[in-house]
Amino acid sequence: MKSIRRCQRVITLFIMLFLIGMAVLVVRIDRDAPFYMMHSEDHELGIVYDRSGDVLFDGTGTGEYEENHFLDVGNLIGDDKGQMENTLIAQNIDLLNNYSFSEGLIREGGKAAIYTTLDHYANRAVYNAYAGADGCACAYNYKTGELLVCASVPSIDVTKGYGNIAEMKSGTLISKAMYGTVPGSTQKIPTLITALELMGTEKLFSKSYSCSGKYVNAYGDEIVCHYSSGHGMQNIQQAIENSCNPFFAQLVADPDMPLEGIKRIYRTLGYSVNDDEPQYIDINGIQCETASTVLTDTDEFNTQWGCIGQGETLVSPVQMMMWESAIANGTGKMTMPYLIDRASDTYGDVSVLGSTRFSKQLFSEDTASAVRQILLTNGADHYAVSVPGYTLAVKSGTAQVLEGAEENALLTGFIVDDRHPIAFCVLLENKYGTPVTAEQILKTMLDSLCS
Amino acid sequence: MSNPFSYLFSCIFVIAAHAVMLFNVFSSGSYESSSDAFILAAAVIGLDIAYSFVMLFFRQHTFTVNFMLLLIINMSNIFQSCFGGVSLDVKHYVTGIAALVSCQIGFLLCRSHKRIQNEKKIVYICMILVMIAIVTLTGSRSMWVNIGNFSIQPSEFLKPLLVLACATSITEQQNKVRVWKFYIVRENVILFIMTAAICLLQWWCRDLGSIPTFAAIYAAGFLLRICYPKAKFSKKTLIAAAIAVFVIACVGVYFAPDYVKARLFTDIWSDTSGGGYQQSRALIAIAEGGWFGKGPGKGFLCDIFAHENDIVFASISEEWGLLTALMTVLALLIMISAPLFDPPRSYYHGTLAAGVCAAFTVQMALNIFGSCNLIPFTGVTIPFISAGGSSMVTSGLMTGMLTAAQSPEFHRIPGKKRGANV
Repeated sequence: MKSIRRCQRVITLFIMLFLIGMAVLVVRIDRDAPFYMMHSEDHELGIVYDRSGDVLFDGTGTGEYEENHFLDVGNLIGDDKGQMENTLIAQNIDLLNNYSFSEGLIREGGKAAIYTTLDHYANRAVYNAYAGADGCACAYNYKTGELLVCASVPSIDVTKGYGNIAEMKSGTLISKAMYGTVPGSTQKIPTLITALELMGTEKLFSKSYSCSGKYVNAYGDEIVCHYSSGHGMQNIQQAIENSCNPFFAQLVADPDMPLEGIKRIYRTLGYSVNDDEPQYIDINGIQCETASTVLTDTDEFNTQWGCIGQGETLVSPVQMMMWESAIANGTGKMTMPYLIDRASDTYGDVSVLGSTRFSKQLFSEDTASAVRQILLTNGADHYAVSVPGYTLAVKSGTAQVLEGAEENALLTGFIVDDRHPIAFCVLLENKYGTPVTAEQILKTMLDSLCS
Repeated sequence: MSNPFSYLFSCIFVIAAHAVMLFNVFSSGSYESSSDAFILAAAVIGLDIAYSFVMLFFRQHTFTVNFMLLLIINMSNIFQSCFGGVSLDVKHYVTGIAALVSCQIGFLLCRSHKRIQNEKKIVYICMILVMIAIVTLTGSRSMWVNIGNFSIQPSEFLKPLLVLACATSITEQQNKVRVWKFYIVRENVILFIMTAAICLLQWWCRDLGSIPTFAAIYAAGFLLRICYPKAKFSKKTLIAAAIAVFVIACVGVYFAPDYVKARLFTDIWSDTSGGGYQQSRALIAIAEGGWFGKGPGKGFLCDIFAHENDIVFASISEEWGLLTALMTVLALLIMISAPLFDPPRSYYHGTLAAGVCAAFTVQMALNIFGSCNLIPFTGVTIPFISAGGSSMVTSGLMTGMLTAAQSPEFHRIPGKKRGANV
């Protein structure tokens, strides 16, 4: 009998090994079936909604919508065709998969959906406000992180397909708010933050520099001011309001602004300095570029020019908007934006829930408070007429692009309003090529969001 | 027959199981005419009844394996007849009957230890003849012999022969002869050479997928040799054997043809229209089928090459659901695990059962895990479930060996009757 038992053990061994393999297989199929299903020709996606239930994408293909209903959100929400990778659907297609392995292919009645934080009404209004001009605008609730507006012009109505892809303008298939752009004088906000962190409020406000229309640095290079007659002697508040380049060039060259200190603060803010690895902000899978610059010598032109927002410096509009949240909240911590408020699976059960998160400490509360006051003063002094009805903290910027052939206009800031705590960034490309102004776009956006 | 009630119960169980499946075909299957479904039903139930009667003429201690085989073969008939639309798959039906017949042949051939032991030279001669046939008849390094409209895969017949060779030589372990400084068992050397020759032949005719099956049969035989009373395999020998297996496997991978290496490292999802075509389609089909399937004849996998054999597990999952596919596998496992519930009566029969178990489990693993991208994809069949005449007949022969292990014949005692238990 002993020898028979040995035979049985060998048989048991083979069967047990096979059963273990089968168990692994079944677990893997159950886990990965939604992924397999995404490759099926019969798979069905659910619906993406905005914050008030308006449809932003209809994966069922059954709904009827007015002309260009999806145009303003095309390059942010995307679709499943694989043409736009850095979009909400491409990065979260599994959440929209109207499929459950326990029932196999559910052809009808699936409830998979993504409920976004986006305000479609405001987003479309902003998109239309560009009136043929190009650019992008984004806004979010700086207390909760809900992304409210993220329009990028031009865009695409995904229901019309990609037949004319060769004729599309550059940037049609991306949400420009997620990609680096020359920040112009909006870069003076990070430089201001850096100066406050390195010197303290009292010392910075005690410093004043003269502007005669240009500043010649230690190497003999000129930093010119947009006001050729010069602003004369200014303190930091005046320099911000005048957006004075020579002041900031001199500030960067100040012995109280050591290069290593600037690099450290910039890196804390999220910059890739010199050869650092590029950084990204994750917004529900959408990769958003942060900022990058080159800092080599505070007396040298490129470093000074970079700290003023030209040269090698690039910042994404979303990153600018996020810095504003750290100022607006008064904490020095950014509120992290999110686009998915919640998602439901094919049975309608909540599968993902968005929540408010904050970054690490970027700068001190004192710095936040000082910058907040400077921007509020700037807003009150210069934007009360063009953007009336709001307690606005803002900084404008003009960025030279295409070797100076064109200039982009930027506005970044926030409004002080307990019911509508909104931080924003507006980019208008080639501002001299359009009658539209960045202020008009900003006003449209705030009016739509606060109405 | 001492327990006619359990025999009758087994008949009813098998017929009822098929009736439930046929009801599913009628209710949710895809067929052009209801007569197609009726023909299938008549063929399946008819075969159930006929084989149940025929089995009465074969005196056995237990009919468990026979009934499980009948259950599986007619399940397979239903599956194969439903792929792409319900219509009796006559070819598969006929090969199923051939498998049932070959099972009885296998049983009659192998039940007597004495007889087969005395004729074991014939087993080796048959193996050599089959190998010569592969080299001479299959054409340019192929694995098929084409005779008119039929194709035979001779290498399939090597599987039951190797199982027999392992079993018939097991009792020779104590007959050691001294060669130079070593004591060796001549039968073990012959068996090793034969196995190596088979594996090299499979390599030569590009049927690398079958090598693990032969290796598993040999491994089962080898393990039982180690365990054989007074076999005295030293630890050094065992470690050397393990190292040899590892080295051979590494060398095999290194010298494997490019298409085999490609299969080892292919990401099927990045090449869904090339190297990963069949596997990705199979997994999509399983996902579409879910636990309960789309319905008989409603799958898309029937349009994919080798849906009825190489990726048959996925084809069944798609139309009948993963649950049914798993139950089919379970039925096969129950059949090959029969020796665990009803132990073989001798070491010879135990070795037969272990060899068959090794062959069947490895074949199932290669097919199912390969088609589902758990291991590299091979063209190995699932016994009785995949279409293919050679596979059906040889699997039937090996099942006959299992039956023989359950109902062995040692010697006849005149005037003494034995009853049958199910």
